[in-house]
Amino acid sequence: MSDIERIEADALVVGSGIAGLQAALDLADQGYSVAIVEKAPSIGGKMISLSKVFPTLDCASCITTPRMASVSHHPRITTLTYSTVDAIKREGKTFTAAVTRKPRYIDEKECISCKRCEEACPVFLPDEYEQGLGAKKTISIPFTNAIPQLPVMHPEHCIRCGACARACPKDCIEFLQEPAPVEIKAKAVILATGYETTPMTAKKQYGLGNLPNVISPMAAERLLAPHGPYGRVLRPSDGKVPGSIAYVQCAGSRDKSIGVPYCSRVCCMYAIKQAILLSGSLPIADITIYYMDIRAFGKGYEQFYNNARAMGISFVKAKVARVTEDAEHNPVVRIERQEGTSAPEEVKHDLVVLSQGLLPGCDVTKFSLGVELNDFGFVQLSDETISSAVTAGAGVFAAGVVKGPRDIPDSVVDAGSAAMEAAAYIRKL
Amino acid sequence: MANTAKLAEQLKKLNELRGPVPQALRDRVAAQNKAQKAILDALKEGPKTAPELAAAAGLPQDKALWYVAALRKYGKLSDVAGRGEYPKYELKAGEGKQ
Repeated sequence: MSDIERIEADALVVGSGIAGLQAALDLADQGYSVAIVEKAPSIGGKMISLSKVFPTLDCASCITTPRMASVSHHPRITTLTYSTVDAIKREGKTFTAAVTRKPRYIDEKECISCKRCEEACPVFLPDEYEQGLGAKKTISIPFTNAIPQLPVMHPEHCIRCGACARACPKDCIEFLQEPAPVEIKAKAVILATGYETTPMTAKKQYGLGNLPNVISPMAAERLLAPHGPYGRVLRPSDGKVPGSIAYVQCAGSRDKSIGVPYCSRVCCMYAIKQAILLSGSLPIADITIYYMDIRAFGKGYEQFYNNARAMGISFVKAKVARVTEDAEHNPVVRIERQEGTSAPEEVKHDLVVLSQGLLPGCDVTKFSLGVELNDFGFVQLSDETISSAVTAGAGVFAAGVVKGPRDIPDSVVDAGSAAMEAAAYIRKL
Repeated sequence: MANTAKLAEQLKKLNELRGPVPQALRDRVAAQNKAQKAILDALKEGPKTAPELAAAAGLPQDKALWYVAALRKYGKLSDVAGRGEYPKYELKAGEGKQ
């Protein structure tokens, strides 16, 4: 047995979404060394899979990829992808993290990202990057602009035909690879573990994920992305161009029945953004947003909302009681209007998007670093009026949605704040 | 080039470690191959929509669309330009012969 891989850095950043990337870059640019651990095969987090961002309608990957590239090429940043942080121990003034590199079943140093293994592999799988709407292979590079451009093999879906190994020009398929432990020592920890959306199965009234044309907002992002699963906006049940699309707001927030009583902040804005993008790609489609109230909270957001109204997107103040479907898989939305007539009515659409809320991506108390959580599982700051990054655990800072739902500009700003607090802490050690 | 002796040895060891490839997985891959072939064969007659391909290949419509997405991604078929409720797909030149 060889010695385990050891990395020493000034700061450990857990998570490489936009908050983790920004915090790492801000620290590294000041001269501190950083190790980033990301559980997914690529850095970039949720943001890299989005189509565009509100309210500027800038392309999301055009903002994310330069940061991903800067991080991966930075001389002071070590990036571990497809790796999990199993434990973090505090020892005096340093933290020791036990990390596991999951096997990709390839020789990462030899791979030249030619994709021949992926082309040769005969087994298709639902592609989770496309929210299951598209397909990938048992061995595949996670997505076009993934960093690093290394394929991952899923041995549970492998028929061991050896086609990938025969196609590989560098002979770097390693069927027998094992998980590899890594030890990271750092002086400070930045938690940037982000969020997961409330699951499709959260609410039985909304079909529990069993209705093919009732989709998640992340799936809608992929439909709208230029390299999405169908290359255009189609509904998943039969490939029809949807003529009528509805958004169900607060489908995963402000709902005590699913344990998410808080507002997730971003859903109004992402729904409005998607509605605007949809009306661009499907000019004749009817787009309806069923909402409780619109929370357009940031700079230029109210104007964005007013633009959407002016473009003809229909905003209906109504709580959606349930979503069912007819024989052709057309979603049927049962609503009660809160303005004008209040009798319940049922409206048929071609495609429905459930505006899901944000849940904590990771229970960071499992690391026992003294970090406290609020009632909803997000990190509680030690004093919000003094700092937007300092947690109850000394040397442990938080960046992005780990502290609670927020949008991309806010995540970027307070990633900077986390980097600054971490730098100040390290300097004082 | 791939080292065939190393590959054979690895695959043999893999079978010892994990047992044989599960029958359910073999069946799934066989069904996938059949579905893909049926879709590509149906497209030899000319461009078709996802529901038409589903009917021709004996697949549920959502499955047919998923295979269309898969074959499109890996360069076997492409979109036919034009409007309409259901877009059509066609074989890419030189594909689907096998």
